[in-house]
Amino acid sequence: MGQPNEKTRAFLARTKGYRKYFGKKLLWFVITFVVAVILNFFLPRMMPADPVAAITGKMASGMTDASAVQEIYKRYEEEFGTNKPMWQQFLLFCKNALHGDFGTSFSQYPRRVSDIISSAIGWTIALQLPAILVGWLLGNLLGALAAYIRKGFDKVLLPVSLFMSNIPAFGMAVILLVVFAVNLKWFPVSGGYNFDMIPNLSWSFIKSVIVHYQLPFWSIVLISIGGQAVGMRSMSIYELNADYVKYARFLGIKDRKIVGYVFRNAMLPQVTGLALSIGTMIGGALVAEIIFSYPGLGSTMYAGVTAADYPLISATTLIITVMVLIATFLLDIIYGFIDPRVKAAQFD
Amino acid sequence: MKNTLRQVFHSSKFVVGFCIFAAILLTMIIYPLYNPGSPLEMIGVGTFAKPGTYVSLYDATKAPVETLRLSDADDKRIAASLSQDDRIAMVEWFTIMEIDVSDLDISDTDALLALWREHYDPSVKPKGMTMAKRNYYKRLNNALLELQGADTLIIADTDEETGALVEKSKITKTDYVNVSTVANVKVLPLGTDNFGRDVLKELVSATGTSILIGIIAGTVATLIGLTLGLLAGYVGGFVDDFIMFITNIFTVIPGFVLLILISYSLGQEQRGATVVAVVIGFTSWTWTARSVRSQVISLRNRDHVNLSKLSGHSLVRIVLTDILPYIASYVVMAFILQVSSGILAEAQLSLLGLGPKTTEVPTLGLMMNWAMLYSAHTNGSWWAYFPVILTIALISFSLNLMNTGLDQVFNPTLRD
Amino acid sequence: MGKKMLEVRDLKTKYITRFHEDVYAVDGVSFSIEEGKSLGIAGESGCGKSTLALSMMGYYFPPLHYISGDIIIDGQNISGMNPDDVRKSILGREIAYIPQAAMNALNPTQRIIRFVEDVIRAHDPKADKKEIRELAEARFAELGLPPTVLNRHAVELSGGMKQRTVIAVSTILNPKVLIADEPSSALDVTSQKMVIKMMRELMEKGYIKSMLFITHELPLLYNVTDDIMVMYAGQIVEKGTAKEMVFDPVHPYSHGLMGSILVPEEGTRGHKLTAIPGTPPNLKRPPKGCRFADRCKYATDECRYYTIPEKSFENDRMYRCLKRVDELKEVYSHE
Repeated sequence: MGQPNEKTRAFLARTKGYRKYFGKKLLWFVITFVVAVILNFFLPRMMPADPVAAITGKMASGMTDASAVQEIYKRYEEEFGTNKPMWQQFLLFCKNALHGDFGTSFSQYPRRVSDIISSAIGWTIALQLPAILVGWLLGNLLGALAAYIRKGFDKVLLPVSLFMSNIPAFGMAVILLVVFAVNLKWFPVSGGYNFDMIPNLSWSFIKSVIVHYQLPFWSIVLISIGGQAVGMRSMSIYELNADYVKYARFLGIKDRKIVGYVFRNAMLPQVTGLALSIGTMIGGALVAEIIFSYPGLGSTMYAGVTAADYPLISATTLIITVMVLIATFLLDIIYGFIDPRVKAAQFD
Repeated sequence: MKNTLRQVFHSSKFVVGFCIFAAILLTMIIYPLYNPGSPLEMIGVGTFAKPGTYVSLYDATKAPVETLRLSDADDKRIAASLSQDDRIAMVEWFTIMEIDVSDLDISDTDALLALWREHYDPSVKPKGMTMAKRNYYKRLNNALLELQGADTLIIADTDEETGALVEKSKITKTDYVNVSTVANVKVLPLGTDNFGRDVLKELVSATGTSILIGIIAGTVATLIGLTLGLLAGYVGGFVDDFIMFITNIFTVIPGFVLLILISYSLGQEQRGATVVAVVIGFTSWTWTARSVRSQVISLRNRDHVNLSKLSGHSLVRIVLTDILPYIASYVVMAFILQVSSGILAEAQLSLLGLGPKTTEVPTLGLMMNWAMLYSAHTNGSWWAYFPVILTIALISFSLNLMNTGLDQVFNPTLRD
Repeated sequence: MGKKMLEVRDLKTKYITRFHEDVYAVDGVSFSIEEGKSLGIAGESGCGKSTLALSMMGYYFPPLHYISGDIIIDGQNISGMNPDDVRKSILGREIAYIPQAAMNALNPTQRIIRFVEDVIRAHDPKADKKEIRELAEARFAELGLPPTVLNRHAVELSGGMKQRTVIAVSTILNPKVLIADEPSSALDVTSQKMVIKMMRELMEKGYIKSMLFITHELPLLYNVTDDIMVMYAGQIVEKGTAKEMVFDPVHPYSHGLMGSILVPEEGTRGHKLTAIPGTPPNLKRPPKGCRFADRCKYATDECRYYTIPEKSFENDRMYRCLKRVDELKEVYSHE
């Protein structure tokens, strides 16, 4: 009788713990999100330059009629609400953003910014999510191997992965591009699919997408491998020296089994490592997109910057931030579930 | 202190990293002495001149002539002037004439020419070949004959009175000049970039600027991180909670995004190299703050700190004498990493077109950006981007090696 | 005389540092334990007592290396065996170990039951999971641990719980020899007593046949073990029954060790608190003569010159000093 009872109680206590943990993380997510939105709004507005004037200048270049210029200025002032007090502008910005309305793009007039972004976001997620995950997995595997085998393997692998991790993302992208696309002509040089195709679900289009996918994908994978491998190696070495390894050995447990313990224990914190570094990795990966003219958010942002398309930049940065926030939040939650050490520390 | 330094220099990783970095720094100092002048000076008119030694053609004609009879001179001349397209066209001709070319190596000029002499006949009119194509083959054949013939180039000048051309000198195929007697020879080890600037000179200057940007960014980030980390860790309580609140937020919001927003808002005119460096520093202090804080917390209740507290020493003094020395190695390591990521951040920012303004100094990121804008990567001008990538990788590799070396000295569990 | 459960003969092992220097941490140690008996080993930190514990297992991995000597467990000499056989048939089964830092001895992310399974299956790959669980639950219950502990991860257990779990897991295969390396030093006094009680219980119930207890607190051993050895710089300097060693130490080092203790255990009353000045010798280059000579108040030039042999006296006691027993006792009585 006593046992199921205790089990139920333990289960209830645990779900309560989960809920508390989840709630805490969610609260953090919301707070960070609000701060991100505020920064996204205020940072550009704190600067001395008047964006509306700059935009008007751009739109009205070549116009001689002063009143027409004045007219354009008025119109943008209206659209941005810069003639209203700051807090009203902010509310307007929030209200519009909530509706997914980020205004009209200047450079691709009259397309809505939300249209441009929604056509780019899928490309970025489909490229970066698998690439970062594959890079993370491969890197951890290599790092653990290096820590376990040491000696020759470690001596070769460590400098190589250290060097690899120091090649900037765009550098890796350019090198792959030149070698495999320009010289060997195995893969196309740029774009997400053949430029003469219209996106559809035909086999030839999908094939084209897959072919275009390879180089951007591998360049992101390769740069994430190095960093992860180095981190995993030191984490594993730390774990290999842990007391439980020695104890398990002296109880006669096989080395292979012990390596399993070590790998698991070293790998779990790497999940948090991924959560913390995902922001940095995205930065590099976005720039890699630009090199390949991949139709994702990186290229969108680049287009925005070169055309001084202010609404586009503002919306892209916000979306990227939100994506990173969600990724971090999910990783945090997953980590809480899979590592009993966090459970013990957080769920009580 | 001396002992620590000795230990540090015993770490092979640190030494290798240190040597690479020192070599880069030395090049930065010495090379401009050897090749002075502004790195942004556009010496070439065209874009992307290949790496190599450039000899002034004008001066070469004035230089003293020696006659050298070299048996392979003709072949080399032909080999150099036969383009890949010409070679392919020649093979096409052979195929039309139904000659077996299966074991012909297209880069073997001798074999190609021998076959050509044997089988080319300008009077043959293959079926389906356009007039233009036939004329192309004729021109090609004439050019080849001319290269083999014994003709001379005449250098002539316009007579000021009559306006007629007057022969000044003749150049034959056996005329040679000693390069050292030519007044103007320019070595461009890495060619020129899209603006016709000496890439090597630009690269050396850009490396300097980028390292400086890294150092400024690293200093700013380390100072902010250190101050916040010390305050949070030592004072604790509400101050700690507040600082950690801010730090956690800025850890999750990607620094890169903030960097883009700030850089864009500043506008191109405001963005000098220093400003960019400071902005990078302002967006990358969170790591340092976090780790300094956790170090300080572990130190806070050590006996020597408590003793200082009981002796009534001021907060500043306790921090300076009882805490800082213990985390100094850590801060140095964090600084090194910040420098390296600062350099990278500048490069990425520049690639987005948000780097320092382009008119003052070159940076590694700007060079990369220019090379990409002018499609150096697709038109084969490797010298415009590859050295830049390599330099960034080497700088950051050497800094990271130093960091790993230091880590092994100061964190003994990582030792072998 | 009972049956010898563990006999160690002239055991020598060394560490090889990462600068390729040899450190002779165990340098010719001999002793034996009989069935049902317990032996304590005392000494300052760095004297080689923990290394001795590891060396006795017959299973060496870098930086520890075997040099020479015999380890005989219940008549079976394990010092020449191949490492995998030692792992499979000796470790955990014949001789088991309770590490110094029991707090960290369990893999934090593993459920205790999985660990028990791994331990048992390392010696018997075909062991049935259900039987393992039954055995574990029974043994845990006997040692006062609730069966739910088996389903927990190590991080979810309190310090005392972890300590008891480690003892239970170490002895689950009924080893003939149990080596406990300062299992109580990180615990408060009540927990220390509990650990000692638990180990005695294991011996009384016959789950373990003999016990080695390593500590730096000599008086603690008085209540726990039958015999005590004092170790200094990789060698045994004195050996005797617990009572003799606490009340009547002969070697100047054991004598000093008793004087440097604060714990008001029985037998320490009336001692003046004195610290032993100096530090132990560097074991990379052990001194030629008596290893304690540099710190010994009574040392003469001869002490530094001659290799000191083990000398027996009274019935079955041993000490390692050039001076005669009566000489030493005479000196101590004047202090």
